[in-house]
Amino acid sequence: MEIKKVDEGKFVVPIGPQHPALKEPGHFEFTVDGEIVMDAKVRLGFVHRGIEKMAEQRTYTRDLYLMERVCGICSHVHGTAFTLGVEKLAGVTAPPRAQAIRVIIAELERIHSHLLWLGVAAHEGGFDTLFMYSWRDRETVMDLLELLSGNRVHYSANVLGGVKFDINPVQTDQIRRGVDYLEERTQFYQKVVTTDNTFLGRTRGVGYMSREQAELQGAVGPTARASGVTRDVRVDAPYSFYPQTPVQIVLDDGGDLTARFIVRIKELFEAYRLVRLLLDNLPEGELATRMPRRIPAGEVISRVEAPRGELMYFIRSNGTDMPERVKIRTPSLCNWGTITSTAVGLKLADMPMLLAGIDPCFSCNDRMIRVRRAGEPGVMTWDQIKAGKGGWSV
Amino acid sequence: MTIGTFFGELVKSLFKRPATERYPYDRKPTPERLRGKLHYDPEKCSGCQMCIRDCPSQAIELVTIDKENKRFVMIYHMNRCTFCDQCVQSCRFNCLDLSSEEWELASLQEEPLTIYYGRDEDVQFLLENQAEPGTEAHPCEE
Repeated sequence: MEIKKVDEGKFVVPIGPQHPALKEPGHFEFTVDGEIVMDAKVRLGFVHRGIEKMAEQRTYTRDLYLMERVCGICSHVHGTAFTLGVEKLAGVTAPPRAQAIRVIIAELERIHSHLLWLGVAAHEGGFDTLFMYSWRDRETVMDLLELLSGNRVHYSANVLGGVKFDINPVQTDQIRRGVDYLEERTQFYQKVVTTDNTFLGRTRGVGYMSREQAELQGAVGPTARASGVTRDVRVDAPYSFYPQTPVQIVLDDGGDLTARFIVRIKELFEAYRLVRLLLDNLPEGELATRMPRRIPAGEVISRVEAPRGELMYFIRSNGTDMPERVKIRTPSLCNWGTITSTAVGLKLADMPMLLAGIDPCFSCNDRMIRVRRAGEPGVMTWDQIKAGKGGWSV
Repeated sequence: MTIGTFFGELVKSLFKRPATERYPYDRKPTPERLRGKLHYDPEKCSGCQMCIRDCPSQAIELVTIDKENKRFVMIYHMNRCTFCDQCVQSCRFNCLDLSSEEWELASLQEEPLTIYYGRDEDVQFLLENQAEPGTEAHPCEE
């Protein structure tokens, strides 16, 4: 192993890929001067699973379940992005009731994801009481998802051309009750993260990112919205049932960790409002339409707003029942750049909080592995990428 | 600015029962739509194999004993099943169903997780005629 030479008085603190404080494998190198971080480097690719290549050897129906397994937390949005893309290629539109159910599940999933994040972020900040309480309340929404779909994690609500299950009036009442309870609890958590002195000490002014910086770094989702960037696929390019139920974008100009907490908590209230609105105005009709097995040749880009930000799917069909290429870009990947720039000048102890602030999902974003040999340039030309000669695999 | 926003919550929790559940002593009723073990009704099956084509984890196999008389045996590999419900959706004859009661399915061995569905005589016929690995000598060794 090569020993890196750093300037006099500076140290490189390597963290990961296997580390008791990180639940997923990622490697970080922080150059510190005393306790202050001078430089940060992120290395990813430890959980590359070859999902995109695997998708090329499976039919569209089987791919749907593979895509749901890209992420365990936002499994439904992955399925939705893939389904919407394939439906667009086939020229099929799911019935309105199916679209509305998709959005209800997506918003319940957002509630689940944000509550989970609130717990993880509090835990990284050393506030384990908040972690335990928010995770206890997350059980409410997990139970609701189990009530609707039968599964707590991979709900598998989508089929190509619609959804699998309906929502009956008894379930509607149960969802309303659950959402009421969660709204009350979220109000308490909002009070905690905005007023508790010990908590604010860890978040206020930490990891500040200006609006220009966020736009330059290509931040997405709540991370970008906490810096005042108006970026939300549900608002910019509404899909599924969002055109009928417009989303009010949640923004904050703070740019620091406190703002990221506030944005996500306010998004919870927005999600509660949307779930109630959709339950009141659930359109009648079929749950699924007929879908052809062979999808006409063509290319499509499908974008959805995952709990962490914009999720993009590119699907190319060659007219058979298997896709020729599926490319996934997850929101975590877009947000990594903000870590390396905002870490400089902060204390080493702030790093776990800063990392948790973007809600990273390591397994989601490992799409490509490139083995770089000594002396090889770090930049690939477009022709090399096209020819697949960059020494990379998808 | 306050300190100890959780004190009220902590005092309240002193008088509440623990949030954890005493499983397996106390069991919560399962939701109606819970997806558990797959069940197969050989009487309704036409042998179209759409379920097998759509299964994302290749958890089911269908052995045709006699196509004319619609005698099939389904081999269900529960250890591979992801309980996604796609086979039930793909079946046009409603012969598949995921149980909402049978969900404690863990096993350390593979054998209890391989299930044969079909008429008793068909399953018997299949098991008797199955090639048994290791019982016959390798052709090259003769």
